Order: sequence, then C-alpha cells, then structure tokens
Amino acid sequence: MTKQEISLEEFQKFREFFYRKTGIQFDDNKRYFVDKRLIERIEATQSDSFRNYFTTLRFQTSGEELQQLTNLMTVNETYFFREDYQFKCLVESMLPAVCANKKPGTRLRIWSIPSSSGEEPYSIAIYLIEHWPQIADWDVELISSDIDTDILQKARQGVYSPRSVQHVSPLLLDRYFKKQKSGDFQICNDLRDSVEFTRVNLSEVSDTRPYRNFDVIFCRNLLIYFDDLSRRKAAEVFYDALNPGGFVCLGHSESMSRITSLFNVKKFPEAIVYQKPEQK
Amino acid sequence: MNAGSKRILVVDDAATVRMYHRQILQQAGFSVEEAINGLEGLEKALNTPFDLYLVDINMPKVDGYDFLRDLRSRDIYQGPAIMISTESEQHDKQRAFAAGANFYMVKPIKPADLLKYCKLLLGIGS
Amino acid sequence: MGFVKISATDISTDDQRHNDRSYLGLLDSLQSTDEMTRRWAARDLAAFPQASAALMEQLTQEPDRSVREAIFVSLTQIGDQIAVDGLITCLRSEVVNLRNDAIEAMKLMPDAVAPMMQGLLHDSDPDIRIFAVNILESLRHPKVESWLIDVITTDPHLNVCATALDLLAEVGSQQAIEPLQQLKQKFADEPFVQFAIDIALTRIQGA
Repeated sequence: MTKQEISLEEFQKFREFFYRKTGIQFDDNKRYFVDKRLIERIEATQSDSFRNYFTTLRFQTSGEELQQLTNLMTVNETYFFREDYQFKCLVESMLPAVCANKKPGTRLRIWSIPSSSGEEPYSIAIYLIEHWPQIADWDVELISSDIDTDILQKARQGVYSPRSVQHVSPLLLDRYFKKQKSGDFQICNDLRDSVEFTRVNLSEVSDTRPYRNFDVIFCRNLLIYFDDLSRRKAAEVFYDALNPGGFVCLGHSESMSRITSLFNVKKFPEAIVYQKPEQK
Repeated sequence: MNAGSKRILVVDDAATVRMYHRQILQQAGFSVEEAINGLEGLEKALNTPFDLYLVDINMPKVDGYDFLRDLRSRDIYQGPAIMISTESEQHDKQRAFAAGANFYMVKPIKPADLLKYCKLLLGIGS
Repeated sequence: MGFVKISATDISTDDQRHNDRSYLGLLDSLQSTDEMTRRWAARDLAAFPQASAALMEQLTQEPDRSVREAIFVSLTQIGDQIAVDGLITCLRSEVVNLRNDAIEAMKLMPDAVAPMMQGLLHDSDPDIRIFAVNILESLRHPKVESWLIDVITTDPHLNVCATALDLLAEVGSQQAIEPLQQLKQKFADEPFVQFAIDIALTRIQGA
C-alpha cells in the first residue's frame, strides 16, 4: 500500500469540518499532528483515500468514526487537578453565587460526570477542603457517576499511580493519600467517604430522571465524544438536573455552542461557565 | 489610528463567508477572529471584547439577534456591530437596530463596501 | 457540615414521581402552566411515536425556549412524517430561532427529510431554498452532492447558490467541477461568488 499523504486542501477541508463539529481549531502549525492521526484512521478503517475516509466521517450514521478520531485528536488523560482553574472558579465564584441565593441549612449538591477512576471528584473534594472555608457552614453532597461499573469500583478504591498525582503538592499528597508499597497512592478513608459513586448512563432517561436539584455539574471531556443528538440530550439532562441559577462546566476545549442554547454564558474571572437561567 | 490594532469578530455559520470577510479585512490590516454562531461569538467576546462585530442573522443555536441582544446586556466594552443578512426586507433592519446593531448590510458584500463601513464605524480615516 | 452522603435511592427530592407518565397524563402535562412540567412532559413524550402531532401543536404556541428545545429533541427522535411536515412549516415562521432550531432538527432526520428535499429545494421562496441547503449540511444521505449541483445549475437566486457553494467545498467531487466553472461565468461580477467557487474548486481538485 502506498504511503498516505494528506494534501493541503484535504487538511483545510478536514479542519473546517472538525471545527464546525467540535469547536477545536487547528492552526497551520498543527499540520503534522493532524495529518498523522488522519492517516492512522484512514489505514485503520481501510479507506483507500482521504476522500473515502472523509465521506465515512461525514455520513456514517453511528458517528463512531468521528468519535474515534476525536479521541485521537484530543488529550484525554485524567489526573488530579486537571484543568484546576475550574475548581478555583468553583470556590471563588460559583459557590458564592449559589450560596447567596440558598437558604442556610439546604444542601449544596455537586455532580461530577464521568467519574472515570475518581480523579475529578476527589480533586474537587480536596480543593473544597483546602480552599473553601465555608465548607464548615454547608452540607455538601458530592456525587460522581459513570456508565462503567468496573471503573466505578476503581474510583471507590481510590488507588492512583504517581503519574496521576504528579500535580498534587507533597503537602497535599501527605495529607490526603497513603503511599502504598507498590508505589501507588491511595486516597485516605475520609475522602473516599466524601464521594458517592453511582452508575449512570447519561443517555437513559430512567437513569437520569432522579438526578435533580444540583448546584454545580462538572462534565469535562465527555460530550465532545458524543454525536450531535446524544450531546443535546445530555445537555437536557443537565438542565433539568440543575437548580435555577446552577452551573455546568465543560472541558476547556468544549463549548455549548456546538450543543444547545439552553444555558446562559457566564464569565467569571477564572473561567467561562454555563448557567441555567435563574427563576423568573 | 490605524487598522492594525483593531480586532474584528466575524460571526457566521458559513465557512466560506467567514473566509471571504477574513481575507478582505486581514488584507486591510485588521486582526480577525471567527465564530460559527452567536453562542461561540459571545464566548469569544466575553474573553476579550472586540472593536467591531460582523454578525450574520441566521445561525444555529444562537442567531444574530439573540447574540447582539445578549452582547449589549453585558458589562463589557461595546464595539459597533454590522448585521449581515440575505434578507432585504425593511422590517429586518429595524429588528437589527433594535437588537443593537449599528449598521445593516445585505449579502453578498463587495470588498470595498465592507472596508468602507468597517472603517467608518471604527472611526478610521481612509 | 462538610461532606455528606445520601443513599442513591434518595437522590430525587422532587415531585416528578407524582406526575402521571402515561401517554394521556403526559399530554395533559404538556399543557401545564408550569414550564418545568411542560418540559418534562415534552422529554418523556419522546417514547410515544403517536405524540408527534401534539408536540407539534404545542411547539407552535410554546413561549418558553427551553420547552421548545425539549420538544425539538423529542420530535427528532420520533422522526415521523407528521414531525417533518410540522418542522417544515416552522421554516416559514417569523421567529428566527424557531426556524433555525427546525433546521437543526431536520439535519438529524435524513430518512424522513430526504423525500421532502426536492420540494424544499424548489420552493418559490428563496429563503426556504437556502434553509433547505442548510439542512443538507449534516444530512446523512448519498444524494447530497447531486442536489447541491442541481441547485448551482438551476437556481436563479445568488444567495441560494452561494449557500450551496459553501457545502460543495466540503462534499464536492469531480462531477461538481464543470457546474462550478459554469457558475463562475454566470456570476462573473460577484466577487463573493468568484471567491467561493475558487475555494470549492481548489478543495475538490486538490484532493
């Protein structure tokens, strides 16, 4: 088989399509990065040309190939304090806004989905304890969900590689983790108890219907891998899961602009987030 | 005052239209960014407000009118906006101005006209 | 204070379970004075294909955009003839976001929309023809390119052709080259059209 090459026009065609679908923009200097991955998928799908591959990408009913490709084009490694500017935003902007309108004694509810192996919900928990003094004044429910029961089990165990905790300071590592003989780190019991892990299929209305009255939802780097309709349905779930005035955070390269007009865009000093309109 | 320091946001769901306007404006020395609909436009404007907005009307999710109304309600620097449409009925002009547009143009736009009105609204001499 | 846990079955503290989720109960809720109730009804009615008429009727009189959004998503999933016919009437609405949301919904219904395409692409209103081309952007159908070529060959309206050009740059193939070159001649005085055709030709020939 002759070695595939992607022409400039093919790159431009793909780039526009991908930007339209995902909001991710590739500069000219990303040529090598993009071409390499396109070629990888062209070969994997046994398409004999870019043109045929692109047709599959555009017209495939399941949208699976676009998801696969998106996976390749994005960084999807999970680790502690990933995109932590959003946690800062939680503490400095979102929670103050929410608490200002909340009756004292009512609970604060935070939903982190997908949980994956737990790095995100545990990061939120640590961040709240370390940086939000008001945690002493409020009951906080931290719920984290995933479709995969195996990964939920892993999350409940809370054991992590050195790589996963590389952005955790030695002080916090010492405070919240126990180093194992294997070299891995396990989250301390108190923190493990602070998160409720549940199994949820975001596309199943029966699964998601009970999720209500949330104040903040973190859904980072998940929707970008969904097809158009599934994304919209997920956004519907979040809208109905939130209290009026509640917030949704997507991954830093994701945007509601490719998904739905349901939410208002809210700019805080730390981040741009999405807000369910407040009660009229 | 020269073009080089001015930033223009082109909000249009058609890639070719964005490219066309971008080329004209960049050649004149403006700095250009793009958004495919009003929601993306708003996100970009909130990040760093622009000196001028070129806004298409018919776009998915958030259209030009909703974009402008929302933009005008924000406490950020309010650059002038040109609303661009394929429709040429009078009532759309009123809607555009009511939403917060400063000018209204009908597609397709000739390069000289685009530059003329952008410069006019930005207060740049020819 | 601090972190608290609740049992998973206790998650819902709301009244949703009290509402009747039978078909008739949902139709009733669709008319509720409360937006949330209407929204939930609209979402739940996605499971009832016979609901498309009721959903369409509510759509035309629904003032709340969040409820309209839920209706659109349900209509997309039901995707029957009634839904498509109803969405097509939305294209003629004066309400901009109603039109645009209808276009978005139809993009996701290739099988139901395809038989209507010819009619839409030959509608007497050029704006409807433009919206029809917009729908083609995400429509997963083998005839998309030939419909677009038909537009640029036969449509007299400049902006309809221009809209088609944008998409042809992405999906066009060899068979589009000659029609594109002919279009270049037809609108020789229009800089935007010349620009757009050049882009399309470069993209097609550079492949």
